[in-house]
Amino acid sequence: MRSTYKYIISLLLLFCVISVRAQEKKDSTELAKTKLLKGITFQADIASLVGSFLSKGETYSTEGGVQIDINNKFYPIVELGFGGANKLSADNIGFKTNGLFGRIGVDINLLKKKKDAKPSNNLFLAGARIGVTSFSYDVTNVSITDNYWGGTEIFNYQNQSATKVWFEIVAGVRVEVFKNIYMGWTVRNKNLLNQDKEGKLSSWYVPGFGINASGNWGISYTLGYRF
Amino acid sequence: MKQFIYILLISFLLFGASCTKDEECRKNRYVNMEIGLYHVSFNAATQVNVKSILSIDSLTLRGINVDASGNESLVDSILYNNIKSVNKLILPLNKIKEQSKYLVQFNQVMDTITVFHKNTEYYLSLECGCIKTFSIDTVLTTNNFIDSIRITNHTVDNNNAEHLQIYN
Repeated sequence: MRSTYKYIISLLLLFCVISVRAQEKKDSTELAKTKLLKGITFQADIASLVGSFLSKGETYSTEGGVQIDINNKFYPIVELGFGGANKLSADNIGFKTNGLFGRIGVDINLLKKKKDAKPSNNLFLAGARIGVTSFSYDVTNVSITDNYWGGTEIFNYQNQSATKVWFEIVAGVRVEVFKNIYMGWTVRNKNLLNQDKEGKLSSWYVPGFGINASGNWGISYTLGYRF
Repeated sequence: MKQFIYILLISFLLFGASCTKDEECRKNRYVNMEIGLYHVSFNAATQVNVKSILSIDSLTLRGINVDASGNESLVDSILYNNIKSVNKLILPLNKIKEQSKYLVQFNQVMDTITVFHKNTEYYLSLECGCIKTFSIDTVLTTNNFIDSIRITNHTVDNNNAEHLQIYN
């Protein structure tokens, strides 16, 4: 958690430096007037809840995030959530997991602001995230039957642990529906950075990432309040 | 508000697309040991041994179960039942025990082949489950028809390869 804070702060500082430099070129008196931190948005994801409901508990996930608005241009974000799965395969192999996950990244508002115009409250965002999760999982009732020689073996693998890191490219829209209330969706292209070796007992589901594959698509539908 | 409705529509459309699941196993789950049959003949003219593929006119093969106390019993099902023109044997190894014994009849001559192997669990996926892969340690045979046997590839997994060579 501490390193996460460090990361946010360093990211913020970086953006401050960049913005300040840009400002310096224009006018030094204007700098005093310009407040870099324009707002902070707390948001919850509805899509993951709907997804959990649709899968009937086979997979479930819930998440929220905090996003900072720097100069109506850069939007650093931290997302935290909890996800899991409880599934029975067609061959009656049981799979169970749950765990916390976190993502950190930044969005950039692609809508160009007209000169001297009031900044729009509607945003078109594109950005990137790094996601990480550490979780444990159980794979139970894995059976091997020898059809020729005869005999069956059943394996139960309890408390297997894994740490997964992935990279996301995101794009989305935010619309102010009521005063300070924002709604929007984000499409995510997720790419797992540490894939399992073939033959190793792998986790079918990765919290925050989804079903374990090299790549994955995801969608968030966020409801946020901006201060 | 109109904008908001569009966003809602698009998001649920994408949702539907992401819900299609694939629960079928598409990986190779078959793990078999492959034995090639060869014949070595001495070419008097060139003074070298020539290795050629051996084709057996009629071959019958079945497994022999060996229990803990060493009692042997034939496995009910026959793997090769009087098959003609055989030059390659594809055999299942014992997934539970670490020894596989076969009774082979080359034309009219009987031999046994005993393979000692280490078994390892190899997890494919939740859809495919687990398979066993093998590492061949030792192979013993009787020498009625078989002259010698050679291990060319110790690892038996779901990739096709020749593991043993039988010479006559």
